Amino acid sequence: MQVYSIPKSIKENSKFTFCKGCDHGVAIKIIAEIIDELNLRENTIAISSSGCSVLLYNFLDVDCLEAPHGRACAVATGVKRAHRAKKDEKFVFTYQGDGDFASIGLSESMHSALRGENITAICINNTNYGMTGGQMGPTSTMGQLTTTSPLGRNKEYHGFPIKTAEQIALCEGTQFSARVALYDVKNILNAKKIIKKAFECQLNNKGFSFVEILSSCPTNWKLSPQDSHKKIAEELTKIYPLDIFKDTTND
Amino acid sequence: MNEKNLLKGNIAIAKAALECGCSCYFGYPITPQTDIGEYLSLEMQKRNLAYVCAESEIGAINMALGAASSGEKVMTSSSSCAVALMQETLSYAASDELPIVLVNVMRAGPGQGYIFPSQGDYNQATIGGGNGDYKTIVLSPSSIQECIDLTYKSFHLAQKYKNPTILLVDGLLGQMAEPAIITENPYPEIDNSNWRLDGAKNRTSRKIHSLEPNQNKLNKHILKLYQKYQIIEQNEPDWEEYLCNDAEIILTAFGTMARSVKAVCNFFREKGIKMGVYRPITLYPFPYKRLRELSINAKHIIDIEMNMGQMLRDVRLSVLSNSQISFIGKPVGDWLKKEEIINTINTIIKEQYASI
Amino acid sequence: MSYIKINQDKCKSCYLCIDVCPHKLIKKSNNTGSTGELTVEFSDNENKCIGCAQCAIVCPEIAIEEVTRE
Repeated sequence: MQVYSIPKSIKENSKFTFCKGCDHGVAIKIIAEIIDELNLRENTIAISSSGCSVLLYNFLDVDCLEAPHGRACAVATGVKRAHRAKKDEKFVFTYQGDGDFASIGLSESMHSALRGENITAICINNTNYGMTGGQMGPTSTMGQLTTTSPLGRNKEYHGFPIKTAEQIALCEGTQFSARVALYDVKNILNAKKIIKKAFECQLNNKGFSFVEILSSCPTNWKLSPQDSHKKIAEELTKIYPLDIFKDTTND
Repeated sequence: MNEKNLLKGNIAIAKAALECGCSCYFGYPITPQTDIGEYLSLEMQKRNLAYVCAESEIGAINMALGAASSGEKVMTSSSSCAVALMQETLSYAASDELPIVLVNVMRAGPGQGYIFPSQGDYNQATIGGGNGDYKTIVLSPSSIQECIDLTYKSFHLAQKYKNPTILLVDGLLGQMAEPAIITENPYPEIDNSNWRLDGAKNRTSRKIHSLEPNQNKLNKHILKLYQKYQIIEQNEPDWEEYLCNDAEIILTAFGTMARSVKAVCNFFREKGIKMGVYRPITLYPFPYKRLRELSINAKHIIDIEMNMGQMLRDVRLSVLSNSQISFIGKPVGDWLKKEEIINTINTIIKEQYASI
Repeated sequence: MSYIKINQDKCKSCYLCIDVCPHKLIKKSNNTGSTGELTVEFSDNENKCIGCAQCAIVCPEIAIEEVTRE
């Protein structure tokens, strides 16, 4: 019995172009699995963004639109509303990094949540700007060494990071907000369950759903894939706890 | 329908948008165009269409980008300093080949400026403030009736060429009222089933993106866009000629300015001066060719704008002969009056014709 | 007999699968992959594979393309 195969929603013969050990690949893989399980492939419009997450459209075999940096939730709003105007509901989700969602795009992200826009946003949080080579981002942790906080992030000099899933949970229009990680099998399976729940939130017309995924960035963290996962398990989850911060889907 | 009504420019644009099937509007308030969004808010909600009071102009234009990918007719409207905020996404929309109609009802700048009348966004619209090699189609109405006609045309050209299109409206025109007819949209619907994103059902999945890490592919993409722009430049230049055939002096003006300029022209014609008015209706593509032809027999071209000489550059590029080119302009405020223009022309042509 | 199918073309040598396999059935191969390091291969002479698919779940490249359990 075949217990595992390449998800149908992954493009044939596609090869991920992320760095060695990067969790983006796992995130896209489980999203594809959920799209298959919920039979959403023919009804999905995915919105990719700027940064490492932009390349989603090369791997995911669904209709895909790239948004300008930070604007994915606004673009998703337009997509969702336009199809609704022609009475053709589509499943619309964004795939963004933490810089995209929570820094340059915080206004678009948060207002989509505040409006209760019926879309799902997935945010890969790897605590730095990965594609540009590891600069300090909105989620870089206190003391974190990056190329623009070479002496470590410092609250007096650099200020505080954002806990995105907690902030988004505060918005009235948010119906589901959670943080997950991908550092081991148990967490990957749990992340899949949670993302599926976020997708179902939209499918049931509940409103804005959000999942922040703590992800490794071995290249810029200058750690092996194994040590990157260890860092997430032992350090990052203490700062960014894994939890469901809001869930009204059963209300 | 087909009844002449007293219509305000902004409302005429909003009504025309609805009439030709615009199903998505996203906007943020800014004077002097806010009544477009106010009018559409109720009308679109009544029809279950897409209307979002966006969090910013950046939000609005990006919602428009997303909505345009569905193949629906999409509009956003704004004004000058806020249109500046939209430039990034116009560049994306041009690269993505997505049809967005953007109405810019101009106020005075630079910076926040004020709501005084001005035509200061000619450069912003025709040259663009976004990055990279791209063009936006720009249409400029000079009457309320033309606001309606060119709204239809904006949607048509945007869909036909899969390109963002700007309706560049003087604040004065947006705010004033005159009799006009909401005619029927004369343009045919354009099939977009071969590119729109509506779910990969019974077909391969589609992707719309501007990122292109392959140098050859990016070159190819931009060259393809430029072939399209060449077709637009070939087919779409539009202008109005007023008494130009025998004109020795040609006045050039766009938008509302052209109306007072026509009155000026009439004045000089009565004095026996062979004068004409050349009014570009498409600012991109600028109607260079015809102005060039006319300029061969003209001794003098006088460009008149409510700015410091922005269309002047295109006028200069049109004119190859030795005709002298002059400029009359004023940055903001009360529209240049007929008498002011006549007096300045008198000085330019070194003649004295009493303005009254 | 349970088994897995590895596409070495996709393997980036992160070795997360090696660590996760409960019976240590995945090891470095002799082939150099796209990152310049040795890719992995499946070797199960004693039919120990239980088809748990943990290797496929953690693989960030979908290089482990199939898992069959018997």
